[in-house]
Amino acid sequence: MLAQIFSIIQDDWLLLLIGQYPNGPLGGIAATLLLSVLGIALAFPLSVVVALARLSPWLMLRAPATALVYIMRGVPLLMIIFWGYFLVPLVIGTVVPGFVTMVVALVIYEAAFLSEIVRAGIQALPRGQMDAARALGHSHIGAMRYVILPQAIYNMTPSLLSQFVSTIKETTLGYVINVPELTFAANQINNRLLTKPFEVFALLAAIYFVVCWSLTQLANWLERRVAAKRAGKGGAHAPVNNGTPLAAEP
Amino acid sequence: MIDDSASDQPTMIEFKRVNKRYGDFDALVDINAQVRKGEVVVVCGPSGSGKSTLIRTVNRLEEIQSGELLFDGQNVHAKMTSKTLNRLRSRIGFVFQSFNLFPHLSALDNIMLSPLRLRGLPVAEAHDKAMLLLDRVGLASKAHSFPAQLSGGQQQRVAIARALAMEPPAMLFDEPTSALDPEMVGEVLAVMRSLASDGMTMMCVTHEMAFAREVADRVWFMDAGRILSMAEPKSFFSNPEHPRAQRFLADLRDR
Repeated sequence: MLAQIFSIIQDDWLLLLIGQYPNGPLGGIAATLLLSVLGIALAFPLSVVVALARLSPWLMLRAPATALVYIMRGVPLLMIIFWGYFLVPLVIGTVVPGFVTMVVALVIYEAAFLSEIVRAGIQALPRGQMDAARALGHSHIGAMRYVILPQAIYNMTPSLLSQFVSTIKETTLGYVINVPELTFAANQINNRLLTKPFEVFALLAAIYFVVCWSLTQLANWLERRVAAKRAGKGGAHAPVNNGTPLAAEP
Repeated sequence: MIDDSASDQPTMIEFKRVNKRYGDFDALVDINAQVRKGEVVVVCGPSGSGKSTLIRTVNRLEEIQSGELLFDGQNVHAKMTSKTLNRLRSRIGFVFQSFNLFPHLSALDNIMLSPLRLRGLPVAEAHDKAMLLLDRVGLASKAHSFPAQLSGGQQQRVAIARALAMEPPAMLFDEPTSALDPEMVGEVLAVMRSLASDGMTMMCVTHEMAFAREVADRVWFMDAGRILSMAEPKSFFSNPEHPRAQRFLADLRDR
């Protein structure tokens, strides 16, 4: 069986890696990673805004942000994808490529989840940080920007990376609206070979596992580093007192 | 209440019938008091007596229910835009019990942040000013250390330098040495002492009675949200008028 898996890799590695690109749309692992990176990268700034709105004293901001988070937490991603796929073209009157629908669905969905991570990161900081910034004369927004968010986001990096890992797995749902990502490529191979579903999907699982496991290891490593730094052991930015100015960390 | 220190200096901080409640609990009751320019006032009293609440109302980290609080002639608790309040706060130095340095910034960057972002100072100027302040608190060699690498006493001295960076006409200290190991109390008090001798207006909540005796112009004694006595340290320590203050001082001696 291993031999057959290797022969699949040998024959179709390019399809698994980049799909039919450049003769067709980008697919395979490249598309999966592109979808995930775009999804998280675009969702992240949005999630900071949602988190700040969730923590706002103004109901006008808090209510819609809270509603968004609760709806996204209560609805499967597949429903969001279907809404985007079937409803949006009717509303705006043009065809939307599956890739775009998938990115938008991921961004909205992930923004809601990331915003909860960011919110937790903000609330985990001691109250004295905000007090100190306000006592110096910084506005609420200024205090968030220069004091609270840099710390919160740094502390949350491992969780953000974990969320990236789940996003990679969520991109498989792109398959149902014909987005040519990794699962789609594997299914193409399966349809062609017809008799080797077990080998094809074992290979598919292995690829996802390797990618996600590596990233999870990275998240764990980061988490240890952040914990060491919080405990005051220097850790990441261990600044030595040698007179060299050190850039403030993110 | 006795005392009106015969100073002819203008008033820097003035409480006029200030009241604050948390639900049913009276945190501050009819506070009437003044701190004159250049004066050092030590606020003492048993825990829960309202000292920290009192000092936190001065820069409006705590709201009040009634009364007036004037800082340098400006009504702190009046309706005002957040911009006005922020500008007002930047003129009141505040030092916390728990230092509250920003852990993601070096000592130098902690001090430079506000002059850069609030005053729009050029980086070179902010840097030079911050270095002078670090030198003043004896920590020029720690400019690039992060808070986690500094001892409690060093962190608190950086926090004082950070508050001074906005050139406030008055400084408030909320139990600045209570979170410190005993051997670090002295270095922080030394910085406060030098500030006082430079003529800084200071309001200090502290349990350091030696500091009060030596540096304070007046000692306010609080209990249950009221200022029970205001006296010069000499008469407060040698001859406390209020029975509650007598008991408080006796308890301190017994420790």
